[in-house]
Amino acid sequence: MLALVRPDSWNLPLFLHVLGATLTFGATATVALLGFAGLRGDPERATWLRGLAFRIGGFVLVPAFVLMRAGAQWIADKEFPGGNDEPGWVGVGFIVTEPGAILLIVMLILAWLAARRPSFRGAVVVPWLASIYLVALGIAWFAMSAKPGS
Amino acid sequence: MSLYDWLLFFHVTGAFFLLGGILIAGILNFVAIVKDRRPSQVASLYGLIRFAVPLIGAGLLLTLAIGLWLVNEADYGFGEAWVVSAIVLWVLASVLGNIDGKHQRQTGELAQRLAAEGDAPSSELRARLRDPRALAISYGSGLMAFAVLGIMIWKPGA
Repeated sequence: MLALVRPDSWNLPLFLHVLGATLTFGATATVALLGFAGLRGDPERATWLRGLAFRIGGFVLVPAFVLMRAGAQWIADKEFPGGNDEPGWVGVGFIVTEPGAILLIVMLILAWLAARRPSFRGAVVVPWLASIYLVALGIAWFAMSAKPGS
Repeated sequence: MSLYDWLLFFHVTGAFFLLGGILIAGILNFVAIVKDRRPSQVASLYGLIRFAVPLIGAGLLLTLAIGLWLVNEADYGFGEAWVVSAIVLWVLASVLGNIDGKHQRQTGELAQRLAAEGDAPSSELRARLRDPRALAISYGSGLMAFAVLGIMIWKPGA
């Protein structure tokens, strides 16, 4: 029951980490919704929705992701200085954020192309990448909150 | 894994659903009001907001029900200041969110009707979208839910 004995100095990094994670979840879900909606309807509407997906990815998802990752590093440095004796659930978080960053970069590039070219076939990949990342975030918050194996 | 670990997971899941859902609705609402948009565009955005509603509902239920169970399981007191203030903010956020939900639903219906009637810009729709009282209720409700997150972490008075 770490929460019961957590030092006060861990609260701000933990708050920023959890705030960033919830914002990342909401922003990723918004990109997925706009991306799926942008696959249907007339080309003008589809292009507009894909453009919104790209802008929300850039202006909301990326800052939220940075907040989540920076908060994670800050609290990990306090809780496990020098990376000593890091339990497996911390590693799960890094697996989700580091390859996850590459996935988000690919998603944003595809979203940008989809917003510029109405006929771009890669547009279909954008909401699916966002959905995959939502599942990865779910795995991370399971590892972070239930701390299996610790 | 102990019962406490499982309860914490479901409580955190509720928080992600609630705050994530609020952010989805907030972003789409902001996109609708930040520029003068055609009624069909507003209707499209409000049509997507409805996907956030079950997420917010499930989040509200999980955070409160599992949260109360956690208070009991972790031997906190139901009269502790941080527990009481979190519940008060949860209730206020829910009530304001419900009022906001009705306003948003009516705005979405108006946008759909205007879109079907020629999709011309409408001062009535613009006024509803930018109604300061409705915006204060909407964003106030969301901020209260995010404030509960802070209370959960700092647990003032615990």
